Amino acid sequence: MGPHDSSISAAAGSTSSSSSSSACSSSTKPPQPPDQMDHLLAGAGYKVRSNDLHQVAERLHRLETVMVKSNPLEISDLVNDAVHYNPADLASWVDSLLTELNTNPPVPVPTDLSDPHPNMNNMMYATNHAPHLQQVVAQPFEEDVSIQLVHVLMTCAEAVQRGDLSLAGLLIDDLQALLGRVNSGCGIGKVGSFFVDALSRRIVNSPENAAVHSDLSAYENEILYHHYYEACPYLKFAHFTANQAILEAFEGQDCVHVIDFNLMQGLQWPALIQALALRPGGPPLLRLTGIGPPSPDGRDSLREIGLKLAELARSVNVRFAFRGVAASRLDDVKPWMLQVSPKEAIAVNSIMQLHRLLGPNSSRGPPIDLVLDWIRDLNPRILMVVEQESNHNQPEFLDRFTEALYYYSTMFDSLDVCTAQPEKALAELYIQREICNVVCCEGLVRVERHEPLVRWRERLINAGFAPLHLGSNAFKQARMLLTLFSAEGYSVEENEGCLTLGWHSRPLIAASAWQAIPKPSPTMGPIIHP
Amino acid sequence: MVQIHEYNDEKNVGSFCINDNMDLLIEVLKRVDGRSLSTAACVCRQWCSIVRNDSLWEHLCFRHVSPPPVGVRPVVSALGGYRRLYMVCVRPVLSRLKRRRIGGGGESEVVTRVWNQHEVELSLSLFCVEYYERLLVGGGRGGATAGDSTASSLKFLCKPVNV
Repeated sequence: MGPHDSSISAAAGSTSSSSSSSACSSSTKPPQPPDQMDHLLAGAGYKVRSNDLHQVAERLHRLETVMVKSNPLEISDLVNDAVHYNPADLASWVDSLLTELNTNPPVPVPTDLSDPHPNMNNMMYATNHAPHLQQVVAQPFEEDVSIQLVHVLMTCAEAVQRGDLSLAGLLIDDLQALLGRVNSGCGIGKVGSFFVDALSRRIVNSPENAAVHSDLSAYENEILYHHYYEACPYLKFAHFTANQAILEAFEGQDCVHVIDFNLMQGLQWPALIQALALRPGGPPLLRLTGIGPPSPDGRDSLREIGLKLAELARSVNVRFAFRGVAASRLDDVKPWMLQVSPKEAIAVNSIMQLHRLLGPNSSRGPPIDLVLDWIRDLNPRILMVVEQESNHNQPEFLDRFTEALYYYSTMFDSLDVCTAQPEKALAELYIQREICNVVCCEGLVRVERHEPLVRWRERLINAGFAPLHLGSNAFKQARMLLTLFSAEGYSVEENEGCLTLGWHSRPLIAASAWQAIPKPSPTMGPIIHP
Repeated sequence: MVQIHEYNDEKNVGSFCINDNMDLLIEVLKRVDGRSLSTAACVCRQWCSIVRNDSLWEHLCFRHVSPPPVGVRPVVSALGGYRRLYMVCVRPVLSRLKRRRIGGGGESEVVTRVWNQHEVELSLSLFCVEYYERLLVGGGRGGATAGDSTASSLKFLCKPVNV
């Protein structure tokens, strides 16, 4: 996605003024498809009607031929001395260049492009030559379809940001057409189709409508999560790194308590239980408190997972106790529900959960501050935070959209090397739901509010936590884990004591460890303010 | 003539069958690679029962680990045994790691390579996750019931390396 960056930023800059002008010009005429300004070129700032496109193409072709044959000196004169009036008027601009180079355009220039009835000479010339020209010009356009796709996506997102939903709707149609021409099995075609789908959902539905956007049950979500775990290394990296850090923090402790902010199927914990079983000096008493959404159909899914983990712990002779806390939102959890005892060493484990707390403030204040506050009160030996390394929480929709396009394209690139089905398809579905949440939703419903590591560092330091460096063991283990995956593109990097996993030097997941700084004890008596 | 007679006598007196010397067979099998060990299981019923002895596979997994891991045996036995550990984790992990470093070569290179504590720990962790996934799926106890089918989380190890 590298080479597309500049085209994205350049296009985004120029679309703001020109798309509004094209919207104006099309609104003053009755809507007749052949006479409408071409949307794609309108986005780039050129006003050309769709049925004039072949004329423009023909002129550009002739210009290219002439320039190739011309004397280089003439061309440089053209560059230095020529004054071009109104370059946005593409056809006449090209004609002016052609006349500068002393060729005679056989067709008189239509001075007024908004004239709905071009004269008959133009039409005859154009129709005689059109088939040949279509063939000549078509090829370069097809190679650039992916660039066009990105360009139109940005234009559409920008229209959505401005609230111009009718233009956005038209652009969605263009996007569907473009998607038909590109290979949708991989690369930009696949990611593009998910983003087009998300944009069209946003245009149709209200972004704050929770009922539309949360359409999968917790059980189905777990299945997708499991396949995402298997198809790519991001979750495995998160689990193994967290376990290594927790293991090191629990050294020498006899009673340990792990609080998991999102238990799911508990895939992280078998490896920790096994590592504790083999620890020199024997295993400690391990308590696990798993937080998860309540199950709708009366099954206590948290308890079922707890039973399986207990069975495994029993097989390897680790004393184990499990407790499940059902809560639909993390800020609904109260510290007393966790039942921590003062003698035990506590580890808090948050794999991609803290960003869900960055939404609108509740009546008690920002949810993230509330939760970080009670975590600090627990005085854990380690708080493990793994988050997506991207900024999907910017206030402006277009910024979020651009960032998400880049991030998820990279993630899909890395997923392309996985060949195991149905793991790959379901993992893609899992990622697609994240994309939909970032693009379609607003307010309380938008929970995928990812922020980069630098922002999390600031936030956690302000909340009273000190960074713990992840040691070289974690780094070596992560590197070794990645060599087991088929693809050579993954890279683990160390960043001021934190580890990031990325694809081809773009970090995608960041893991960091923190320790709570105990709060200063309250002074006796009233505080006298000077 | 006397010599031939003596030779015949020697042959009758010194005839040797490996199946009569199980200790010797086990010592030999302790030194072969995984492929040979699996092949040995197909020779006859007696060899098959010997090869199914998990301690041979324990030897295969960890004889080149320096220092040898302590206290691992009860854990591995609970999670499915050393033969399963070798088949499901150790062999694919080692061959994947070796291919990264050397690029090519047969399984004999895998065996002679010394592998370190981190690699042992990683293999054991992956083995434990695989056991847990079998628990999640079928509720079967470790090893016997689920057969040799690999749980999904280790599928990535069995895929061909896409170099």
